[in-house]
Amino acid sequence: MKDCEEIREGLGAWLDGELSRGDADVIRVHLEHCAACDQQRRQMARLDESLKSLVASNVQPVEFESFWRGVQERIAKGRRYEEARQWLHFAFARPGLAWAVPAVILILIGVLSFDWFWKGGTRRNNFSTVESIDPHGRNVALLREDETKTTVIWLYQNQEDENESSGENVETGHSF
Amino acid sequence: MKMSLPGRTLKRVILFSVLVYLFLVVGYYDPLYGAESRAQTVRVRIGTILASNQSDEIDPKLNTMRNQLKVMMYRSYRLLKEETQNVSWQGNAAFDIPGGRSLVVTPEEFRGRQLALKVRLQHGDKPVVDTTVRLNSGGNFLLGGPQHEGGVLVLSISATAQ
Repeated sequence: MKDCEEIREGLGAWLDGELSRGDADVIRVHLEHCAACDQQRRQMARLDESLKSLVASNVQPVEFESFWRGVQERIAKGRRYEEARQWLHFAFARPGLAWAVPAVILILIGVLSFDWFWKGGTRRNNFSTVESIDPHGRNVALLREDETKTTVIWLYQNQEDENESSGENVETGHSF
Repeated sequence: MKMSLPGRTLKRVILFSVLVYLFLVVGYYDPLYGAESRAQTVRVRIGTILASNQSDEIDPKLNTMRNQLKVMMYRSYRLLKEETQNVSWQGNAAFDIPGGRSLVVTPEEFRGRQLALKVRLQHGDKPVVDTTVRLNSGGNFLLGGPQHEGGVLVLSISATAQ
């Protein structure tokens, strides 16, 4: 049988449940018959309880809620970024869609150019250029109207000419 | 070897630029300058309009020209006659204009998307005006002033290369 000194050296481990079943039984049997060692066990047990209660009363409760919320937000943000990255990859990196963007742009250019092709651009600039004009003695005015981009050649006679030509008209039967 | 994403993007940008370039080159030369070399005839259309202040009516047939006609400040416009003729280059197209007048149109040139037309208005045998006008194919210009039935005649002269 072990002596009291060996038993007391093993009391701490026995109280913490760290001994094998055989060693624990030896200490338990010894304590049943040794009042001094049992007294030592009680003191150690009380000290152990006191330390546990002291630690429990002094440690502040840790606030994990905000920590976990932050972790979850970071995870969600990462997911969103990953989803956006995957969508962009899906939209622009797939071989089948590689031509979609230029095709759409070309179609738009074609649609916008439709009028230009089929109307010869006349709606954009209908201005005409008068290169030469001979009004045969009559007065002529050239008008350019900006809104419709129309060129107008206007023939007219001043009052004196009209009076004269009126006389001629009577004689010749011609009018301007 | 698999290409990186920037590499693929660059490749697409280059391909797209080439396509746009081809599109513009073909679009520029074929319908415009190609048309100049292919154009055999010119379709000339003359609309004869009587402008007056005798009423406030505008002929519904002239709705497409309503804004063009406004510049002449008359209250009433009536389409008296509309005639179209196809004429070859350097050929003459003669149009009868109300009031014993006639209009002779000669297409002279097609260059830079524009047609050069020689236009001669006569009253009987007397020339009223001779002019050469350059206008866009499909475009028109107005020639007005001759008096007729209490108003004035306005001729809308348009030409399209065929």
